[in-house]
Amino acid sequence: MFWKRQVPIFIVALIGSITLFGWFIDQPNVKEFIGDDATQWFDVLASFAIILGALNLIKMQIQKVLYQKPGWQYSVIAVLGFIFAIIAGFFIKGVDDSVAEWGAHVTSDGTLFKWMFDYVFSPMSATMFSLLAFFVASASYRAFRIRNFEATLLLVSGIIIMVGRVPIGGVISSWFIMYLIVLFLGIYVNSIKKDKKVTFIFVAVGLSLVTIFGTIMGWPIDQPGIFYLPSIQEWIYYYPNVAGARAIMIGIGLGIFATSIRYILGIERSYIGE
Amino acid sequence: MKDKQFWVGSAIIAVLFLIYWVAGHPYFVTDRIVMFISIIFLSATLIFYTRAAERGEEFFLRPIPALKAVEEAVGRSTEMGRPILYVPGIQDMDQVETVAGVVVLGHVAKMTARYETSLNVPVSRSIVMKAARESCRDAYTVEGRPDMFNEDMVHYLTDDQFAYAAGVNGIMVREKPAACMYMGKFYAESLILAETGNSIGAIQIAGTASQAQIPFFVTACDYTLIGEEFFAASAYLSQKPELIGGVKGQDMIKLFVTAAIVLSTILMILFETAGVGINISDFLTIR
Amino acid sequence: MNNIKDIENIFLKIGKIDRRWIFIIIAVVVIIPLLVPIGLPIRATDTSKSVYDALENLPKGSNVLLSVEYSPSTKPENHPMTISVLRHLFRNDHKVYVTCLWPDGQFMAQDALSQVAEGEFNKVYGQDYVLLGYRPGGEAVVKGIVSNIRKLFSVDAKQTKVDEIPMMDGIKNFKDFDFLFSASAGYPGTIEWVQYASDPTGIPMSSGVTSIQVNEVMPYVQSGQMVGVLAGMPGAAEYESLIGQKGSATSGMDAQSVAHLVIVLFIVLGNISYFIDRKRSRKY
Repeated sequence: MFWKRQVPIFIVALIGSITLFGWFIDQPNVKEFIGDDATQWFDVLASFAIILGALNLIKMQIQKVLYQKPGWQYSVIAVLGFIFAIIAGFFIKGVDDSVAEWGAHVTSDGTLFKWMFDYVFSPMSATMFSLLAFFVASASYRAFRIRNFEATLLLVSGIIIMVGRVPIGGVISSWFIMYLIVLFLGIYVNSIKKDKKVTFIFVAVGLSLVTIFGTIMGWPIDQPGIFYLPSIQEWIYYYPNVAGARAIMIGIGLGIFATSIRYILGIERSYIGE
Repeated sequence: MKDKQFWVGSAIIAVLFLIYWVAGHPYFVTDRIVMFISIIFLSATLIFYTRAAERGEEFFLRPIPALKAVEEAVGRSTEMGRPILYVPGIQDMDQVETVAGVVVLGHVAKMTARYETSLNVPVSRSIVMKAARESCRDAYTVEGRPDMFNEDMVHYLTDDQFAYAAGVNGIMVREKPAACMYMGKFYAESLILAETGNSIGAIQIAGTASQAQIPFFVTACDYTLIGEEFFAASAYLSQKPELIGGVKGQDMIKLFVTAAIVLSTILMILFETAGVGINISDFLTIR
Repeated sequence: MNNIKDIENIFLKIGKIDRRWIFIIIAVVVIIPLLVPIGLPIRATDTSKSVYDALENLPKGSNVLLSVEYSPSTKPENHPMTISVLRHLFRNDHKVYVTCLWPDGQFMAQDALSQVAEGEFNKVYGQDYVLLGYRPGGEAVVKGIVSNIRKLFSVDAKQTKVDEIPMMDGIKNFKDFDFLFSASAGYPGTIEWVQYASDPTGIPMSSGVTSIQVNEVMPYVQSGQMVGVLAGMPGAAEYESLIGQKGSATSGMDAQSVAHLVIVLFIVLGNISYFIDRKRSRKY
């Protein structure tokens, strides 16, 4: 128990304290330790630990194939891909030493590894990332519903950002947005008064006012700015969004701080299974 | 003044630091004194409330639906006879969020041991794999079910972000887990995972401090632990007094920070408009 | 009355549409504008203009550090930014030092440099630009560059000794650069550069990030810790229009515009169906 409990907690407390308080100490050795060594130690450990991960991966995939578990065919591809990557990385360069030496071959054109990167890894990564476009569409379709006031606010600002952020938002004039607002207000008036005459008069007066004012003032496409989508989206990004983001950032920062202190002081020990 | 030991300890540390300061404070980076004092003060606040909780003082914790849902999700999986998928993020153990994710995994593993439900934890870093295994092994042992623990319930997929997302998606589609939990540090793969989980009808609970991913999780998951809620999860789930005290301490720190922001804003307005007082912004900027 | 009910039923059906239909429609509306471009005008936002102005106002021959931290997955968003920024820097005869915090970043940097530095500007390697390459360690690399770049990079990406590279003369640490531009897709990236390099040293920096990251980065822009930001593919397209050389981001904007409009349309249809559903459930 001593090696699995007290020692890890002592290491966390010691290295954690040095890293935290070392930032206030102007001494080259301490500075070098917290700036370079501590993080590099972790990287060295993590690099060696990859072997463990790779072995586990291969073990799991081979087991799947041997016991013909559901989807075992994919495991065959995984194992073959694993072997191919090792061959391309460590055994077959595909070019002479004059073109690329071992080590530099991973980024040199014409090598087997670079071929794998360009024609296998890159397209597959891009495919996975591009799935986001589809998932964003389906998620927003499902989630953006006018359930209450907050959800409505979220929906309206979401639409403004989505349209205002892209060039098509720039060709939608402030006039058009004002006409839309008048029409939506008309729906609201109708739902309260439930009188078609009142609604008609409201909408007609609203549309006329926008047209008359616009003509007299000679508003171009982006005037008045508060009704121009790209300007509104920039404002949303810059103010309400930043305000919310800062609040969350402060909360997260404090959470990280409190958690780190709990680890350093040994109050939280669950990470070693206690 | 209930905690005499705490106050005596604090006084000793303060006196020692004063002596060091008067003695010329060798090796100390004086430009960072504000941050140093802040850290000491905030740490002391945390320790104070932790000790108070240990002494038996009770603190109210507002209920967090996402944490209540964790046990429900495990129960649902048991009823349906399907596994639980737990994703501890895509970063390594040097990120606090990953550590918090592994901590929550320990609590989830205790529940799965209790309910005899199978648990599947694909990871994207080898060190996380080792840590998560230890956490699960201990959880199953504590619950008296070491026989149910199987090392391969925590397994490594790949370090690459999107290859990992593809691997986890494959597991979701093939095994159709009844509950999917995402607790850790996430990037663009968050929506890919959560939408796939949604498509298989799993109950989904997420917890992250990755600010940009919170909207995606909120949209696609049933419950989301946002930022600090995620870090407080361990206290909620374990109900250990010392951890609950820490959460209370964290709230008090937040109160101090809010007061400092308001005060700094007033001072800054006074300084910039009337030239009264000091430039607090210079004072607080740390180089 | 029946007619209204029929229409309502159609909307209800749309509301319960299988998400695979949405995927197909999105695919179609993205592909068509890519094949038949509409050529919508691009208007630069203030944040993009700030980046342009900051680089434009650098004195000739400035040392600019360009950090490439993205992988092939986000290439369509980040790569056009790197290309445009490189064009802008080489056009103004600045010296460009390229580092990578991501292993895949080196491939991306190599690709951009061979297209712009070699293909378009005939710049000389080692005199006008250098690719220092990738070093593992995340923020430790940023800290290393701030304290002593030569300790971290003893050789460049081509394994040439840094001491033998002419443009490395006088470059010891981050303070020897005049500007930093980070093309970033996540961690480690822009935020680490702000926290550990630009903010402590006062060297100005800017960044080009993916759309997802804009939220996270915006507070640093507003506080003045960063000079503007290129936000996702629209930001890249805006920069292309600012430097007057269109590229892949501009051609992608038509597709993105139409896709956004279609998503808005889906949201509207979804809400109509939601209202009908709610109205009916209230009735019963």
